[in-house]
Amino acid sequence: MKTKSREQRERMLGYFFILPAVIYMLVFIGYPIVYNWIISFQDVTATTLASSARDFVGFDNYKAVFADSTFQKALLHTFIYTVGCLVIQFSLGFLFAMFFAKKFTVSKPIRGFIVISWMLPVTVTALVFKFMFAEGNGIINTILMNLHIIKEPIGWLLNGSTAMWGLIIANSWVGIPFNMLLLTTGLNNIPADVYEAASIDGASGLQKFRKITLPLLKPTIMSVLILGFVLTFKVFDLVYVMTGGGPVDATEVLSTYSYKLSFQLFHFGEGSAVANVLFVCLFIVALIYLKTISKDEVI
Amino acid sequence: MKKKAALLMVMAVMTSSMAAGGVTALADDSGDKTTISFWHYMSSDKEGKYVQEAVDEFNAAQDEIFVEAQYLPREELMKQYTIGVVSGELPDVGMVDNPDHNSYASMGVFEDITDLYTSSDDQNFLEGSIGSCYYEEKLYGVPWGNNCLGLFYNTAMLEEAGIEVPTTWSELEAACEKLTTDTCKGMAISAIGNEEGTFQYMPWLLSAGGSVDELGSDASKESMTYLYSLIEKGYISKECINWTQADAEKQFASGQAAMMINGPWQFAGLSEDAPDLEYGVAKMPKADDGDYASILGGENLGICTGANVDAAWTFISWITSKEKSQEICKSIGRFSPRADVDAQQMFADDPLNSVFAEIMPDAQSRGPSPDWPEISAAIYTAQQEVFTGQKDVDTAMNDAQATVDALK
Repeated sequence: MKTKSREQRERMLGYFFILPAVIYMLVFIGYPIVYNWIISFQDVTATTLASSARDFVGFDNYKAVFADSTFQKALLHTFIYTVGCLVIQFSLGFLFAMFFAKKFTVSKPIRGFIVISWMLPVTVTALVFKFMFAEGNGIINTILMNLHIIKEPIGWLLNGSTAMWGLIIANSWVGIPFNMLLLTTGLNNIPADVYEAASIDGASGLQKFRKITLPLLKPTIMSVLILGFVLTFKVFDLVYVMTGGGPVDATEVLSTYSYKLSFQLFHFGEGSAVANVLFVCLFIVALIYLKTISKDEVI
Repeated sequence: MKKKAALLMVMAVMTSSMAAGGVTALADDSGDKTTISFWHYMSSDKEGKYVQEAVDEFNAAQDEIFVEAQYLPREELMKQYTIGVVSGELPDVGMVDNPDHNSYASMGVFEDITDLYTSSDDQNFLEGSIGSCYYEEKLYGVPWGNNCLGLFYNTAMLEEAGIEVPTTWSELEAACEKLTTDTCKGMAISAIGNEEGTFQYMPWLLSAGGSVDELGSDASKESMTYLYSLIEKGYISKECINWTQADAEKQFASGQAAMMINGPWQFAGLSEDAPDLEYGVAKMPKADDGDYASILGGENLGICTGANVDAAWTFISWITSKEKSQEICKSIGRFSPRADVDAQQMFADDPLNSVFAEIMPDAQSRGPSPDWPEISAAIYTAQQEVFTGQKDVDTAMNDAQATVDALK
């Protein structure tokens, strides 16, 4: 009896310690999310923004948004962008990680050097790539022209079809070191004696990769992919600076469209609805992740 | 379970990081004076310097009110108004782009100052300028400064090509043809997908006899067809769809464009970027069978909801008074919105500004309408669709008209 009350007291004390963090999360993270859900069900425009009694309109905002062709494009673009970025940055990041896991003399300095692109503010990256992709005097066109790969300069960010590639390339430049860094850590955590044992048993390099590296790296790969998905899916600054969602709406993604609806066209209700679609997509991904890691508890 | 909680937290932080940070008010160090805040978007290195000088003068001239001026980039300031309506964090005096004034007034950003204005003894504003401050027949501010668009040309390049300054669309096209080389475009414009793109397109639309209400009319379409033909022929860079007016100025200053469409606020930038550049200014060329047209740009000042109205009004009426308005507008490349300031006389010894002084009376205002942001979006979207070849002129302009019609 006595021990139990002590246990309870300790538990109470534990709750007390996490209280500040919980309050912080409720106020600064919980409240905006809840508020955003509320206004997405209200008729919030320029004229009703300040009034406290706004009409609840049920799913009208969501209906309007889903019927809107720009939104449909934005949703599609967001997925194209995310998948494109993930494929490029994960595969190249993996190659780099394998390469730098071999501990040769200058591997650490070079690895540090590559990570610089990840540490730059995204706005800076976006501006640099905007200049590099410029039609008239951008370095990318200049190089391609001088190598005689293209005859006419390409307006990379001026055509709907190439603008998305411009964004994917710019983001991959940032994403590759991020993937590399996490995967290198994962690789270093695989004990060397497993490989030794395999070598003694006569396993080939490819076999070692498939039977040892991949399975043991699976939790890391999952985290990298999920984190990569979340970070890429909610892109805003890169698109906003490089193309502003244009030309026309060729690179409009959910976050930029939500911003446009709210702060340029003053359709706050619809803007919130778009933001919530973004939220739901990410939430589903997070749930899938939780499901997979609770299945195999390796790390 | 712990892992789950931690993960959810990470996810939540990531998904919510879209929310923007607010601007915290500056500390008050003014002693007994009443402190009021004044938010503007006159960038601090160029025009902002003169705004601060005027504010300092006001603060020194009396000992009751202390004004704290704060610069924010235009887009950021507009976002702060929207957020401020809900959070209550608004400045006492705020600057607003005149076509947007109606929307923000309808949102409740600004106080109704009709009574203060009508009972004051100073009501000498130009009708078109003060008109943009009215929403549903109530006054929500007073005009701060005006500007408009004209044609800038590189004197040396025009002389070399042996051409006169173009005055009509066909002359402009002919001039562009002669001026365009491998390294230099005939003209630079801004056709970016925001208010600036609409602002730059309006003079072409108006000169052809088109109007915002009839974007689908033949006259309206003619203006778009003409502009697009200049791009198709390579006289204007395709990149104009991503250029702001400041970007167009950079092209002109660096000699990559022989002419540009821009306004008097660029004089300061040009003398900084290209101090040796010799250039002239003229009216924007008119449609061959049309009239000269230009577009009225400029800013208004309003007293924000919940502000110290009396102190704010004292400051606003001081800074928009005849003497001050004339002085500030001259230094920041604006034209005074006051009827009792004679712009022609003010710039008698300034050949560049006096051209704009001549253009001003023709300049038409945008709106006023609380729906202007959406009308503007329809216009710049149509322009971008045409310039990128996504839609032909007919379809794009008809679609834009349909969007505008749906707002009525």
